[in-house]
Amino acid sequence: MSSNAESVNDPDPDPDPGPEPPLLDVRDLRVRFRMLDGTIFAVNGISLHLDRGETLGLVGESGSGKSVTSLALMRLLPPEPAAEIGGEIEFDGRDISNFSEKQMRPMRGRDIAMVFQDPMTSLNPVLRIGEQVEETIKAHREIDTAGARARATELLRLVGIADPERQLERYPHEFSGGMRQRVMIAMALALEPKLLIADEPTTALDVTIQAQVLELLQKLTLETGTALILITHDLGVVARMTRRVAVMYAGLVVESASTGQLFADPRHPYTVGLLHSIPRLDGDVGALRPIEGSPPDLRREPAGCPFAPRCAWRLDACWSQMPELLALEPASDEVVEHVVACHNPVTPAEVELARPDRPGFEPAPPPQAVV
Amino acid sequence: MTSNPPLLQLRDVRVHFPITKGLLLRRVIGEVRAVDGVDLNVTRGQSVGLVGESGSGKTTLGRAVVGLARPSSGTVVFDGEDVWSLGRVAQKRLRRRVQMVFQDPYASLDPRMTVGKSIAEPLEIHRLGSRADRTSKVGRLLETVGLHPTHADPLALAARQLVRVSVGVARALSLDPDLVVADEPVSALDVSIQAQIVNLLQELQRELGLTSILIAHDLAVVRHVSDAIAVMYLGRIVEWSRAADLYREPRHPYTVALLSAVPIPDPVVEATRERIVLRGDIPSPAAPPSGCPFHTRCWLREQLGNPEACSSEVPPLRLMRSGHLVACHFAEETSN
Repeated sequence: MSSNAESVNDPDPDPDPGPEPPLLDVRDLRVRFRMLDGTIFAVNGISLHLDRGETLGLVGESGSGKSVTSLALMRLLPPEPAAEIGGEIEFDGRDISNFSEKQMRPMRGRDIAMVFQDPMTSLNPVLRIGEQVEETIKAHREIDTAGARARATELLRLVGIADPERQLERYPHEFSGGMRQRVMIAMALALEPKLLIADEPTTALDVTIQAQVLELLQKLTLETGTALILITHDLGVVARMTRRVAVMYAGLVVESASTGQLFADPRHPYTVGLLHSIPRLDGDVGALRPIEGSPPDLRREPAGCPFAPRCAWRLDACWSQMPELLALEPASDEVVEHVVACHNPVTPAEVELARPDRPGFEPAPPPQAVV
Repeated sequence: MTSNPPLLQLRDVRVHFPITKGLLLRRVIGEVRAVDGVDLNVTRGQSVGLVGESGSGKTTLGRAVVGLARPSSGTVVFDGEDVWSLGRVAQKRLRRRVQMVFQDPYASLDPRMTVGKSIAEPLEIHRLGSRADRTSKVGRLLETVGLHPTHADPLALAARQLVRVSVGVARALSLDPDLVVADEPVSALDVSIQAQIVNLLQELQRELGLTSILIAHDLAVVRHVSDAIAVMYLGRIVEWSRAADLYREPRHPYTVALLSAVPIPDPVVEATRERIVLRGDIPSPAAPPSGCPFHTRCWLREQLGNPEACSSEVPPLRLMRSGHLVACHFAEETSN
């Protein structure tokens, strides 16, 4: 899958022996939005890394901070004082967290590209498809109009749009949702970026069209060696598409592991709850086991674990101390580290039960001050 | 299907919308065949799932059932009465018995009303009970859908998804309807909230013996709520079956492809699964293909060497086995 040094027979005990630094290294990213009536704590200290050519799924519900994280990586958030951004973002060996707009501009599209959820609002409705695709190419390459047109034609063909010469003359509204998203993917991959961030790329699409678009994304990122961050709320899409997953809640990564490991052996109570909440096409049709309660209020800075109010495993410490993201005892054959931010992780035996299975255990009541 | 007469009976229902051109002299230049000949029986206590992708006509069909979209032809018979040939008074009486839960809980509820007022409104419109009766009824309904009886906030403040959807459900139940049509009630929700509503729907079905039609694009959700499923494509029902059979042994090539396209949240299953990826988009309902509506994207037709019948004859819904109807000329071949 990836071209870097990760062969199974590698004798080196170090799990990440490659000479290359990771493509992306995010450390303690924080984003706050200042509003007239308070502050929104959108991202509260996220650390992420991504190797070249790797696929990472960023999973979470609305308000978990996954989209804000991606916008922060692209440096597309509003400037201070509207948004307060902290932490470090290292991309391809360079710290881009303090890059100026002028420095960022050539990187967008060429190094990091993005595909958004709604292809209708990301395309300009009054420009022909051709003009928009060519514009992307011309912005970054010394190329004449004929050359750009030829490249645009090639790109449309690459994303499976039939009769590309004619389609370039049409407007976005003449395209279906699936075709628009194909155009967005063509534009994003036009310059063979090192990283593609796809933010809910198939959420607005029908399931048969979703299958087409996912297949296309997988094929193209593999061929070009582009690393992929796939942001989604759909655990099925993650299972199909990614090698590694980070689960987000209230602006924090609460658990991260290889995709296989995360689904087979989840440890964070939120991950376990999420997996039990999804209605499935296979397996049992009994009642789902939803996560009780409501998503967190982002207007308050989380004091302890933000999931504590909904958690059946909570201890007293959970109300007041933010758990750190720590590695589990290293699994012998896992290349990818399994990390969990939890004071009282779920045991393997409890995963299926979806509740603590310890004699006499009661979730810790909220401290008096909060009540 | 069963001996008791169906509560709802659709016969060859078509809903066609004219496409017009010009401002003053509006000429009709075509029509969108949103629903194009649907037969459907729903028996008392049954929960039917209506699934399909956008443009399949599932929402329009639901609207024809509750009296919001007039069929161009065909009949909708509810409990022995033709819904669309009733007088005003009879229609109002009927509307009390057929209720709808709308898709977007943000758009379908008045943000200035309190939770209680929203639920009481249908009772007021139909002048049911005294004020005190209505108040106690609202209390009971709130409890049924799992909300606190003290919920008196204006809806605008109750920004929480769960509250809004639950209010939508409670409002639909307030008139003790015989049939509830729910149009994508959970599709806009987060997974953890969605699970709570799916459970609620399951429970209501069981405890109130509700007859319901659940319109959804999510095949997994329908599987958890409905006991019979109709799969729609371009305005027609292409497959009808008991839920369990449909997922175990789908017979229409479209259903097979649809099921195989849904990502399953299990990387082990996903890695080994065979997927049928359909080519192209759903054709426009303004210009549906000749013959079988699915033939332009059909993998089975291709496999069979493009038989003539697919593009020339509309396949009727035919019985494959007890309670399982399929509209495909070659449904016997799907399982191979």
